[in-house]
Amino acid sequence: MTGFIRDLLGKMMPPPGGIDCGGVLAQLYEYIDEELDDPATVEKIRKHLQVCKRCYPRYDFEKAFLRFVSELGRTSAPAELRGRIFQNILEEESQN
Amino acid sequence: MGRDASLKQHEFESEALVHLDTLYNVALRLTGNAPDAEDLVQDTVTKAYRAWDKYQPGTNCRAWLVTIMRNTFINQFRRKRKQPSRVQFDSVEDVSVFDEVQERDPAGSFFRSIVDDDVKRAIQELPEEFRIPVVLSDVEGLSYAEIAEILELPVGTVKSRLFRGRRRLQKRLYEYALEMGYIR
Ligand SMILES: [Zn+2]
Repeated sequence: MTGFIRDLLGKMMPPPGGIDCGGVLAQLYEYIDEELDDPATVEKIRKHLQVCKRCYPRYDFEKAFLRFVSELGRTSAPAELRGRIFQNILEEESQN
Repeated sequence: MGRDASLKQHEFESEALVHLDTLYNVALRLTGNAPDAEDLVQDTVTKAYRAWDKYQPGTNCRAWLVTIMRNTFINQFRRKRKQPSRVQFDSVEDVSVFDEVQERDPAGSFFRSIVDDDVKRAIQELPEEFRIPVVLSDVEGLSYAEIAEILELPVGTVKSRLFRGRRRLQKRLYEYALEMGYIR
């Protein structure tokens, strides 16, 4: 199939989900963060991602990145600080 | 100790102190070092305990605590240091790392080769106006609306700082992976 025919077909065929790649990419983070208010938009993007070979890898990559940051970005409070804070609160009351 | 006092303590422990890890994490990213972070957590918890009557049970305790922490940080810690300079739009944010790696590593598996110290360092190196939204959203899982309330910013501003911060962070992690030879 020549590029010309492919482009022509592309123009005649509605984009998957009824939303084009630009629209999906512009709202990708909001989609992943579950921050889109309109359920119809969410559904369009979901359908688009199921079939689009361009957007799905991007979606997959951003998900991998966010999962990675949430797993490795965290530091737990030191046990000794925890102990000191509970102690402070006990003392706070005994002063009253 | 009276009955009321022990009730208050019990409530405070079960509703507020369960968020101690969040507080420590945010404090670390605000101050950039462990001793200051510990001080900030202690000051925040003491203030929150004294203001516990003003907390409405069942509302968002975590956001309430982080708001107290942010105010404490601005009043007590930042006075000692320079104000964060306003960050200009950077060309770093124009290109997504994905565009650079999609041929070699479309699944982003290079992320897994980066150790957690490097991730924390990369987060810490973000300018504060990006760093805090990224930590609150991507490490602590707060919503855009919660972050907007805590930082006293419109939701649209939170969104744009978060997105720009993510791009910068991806770029930094990608650079680490290149330096360490995880990707070529
Ligand atoms: Zn697409």
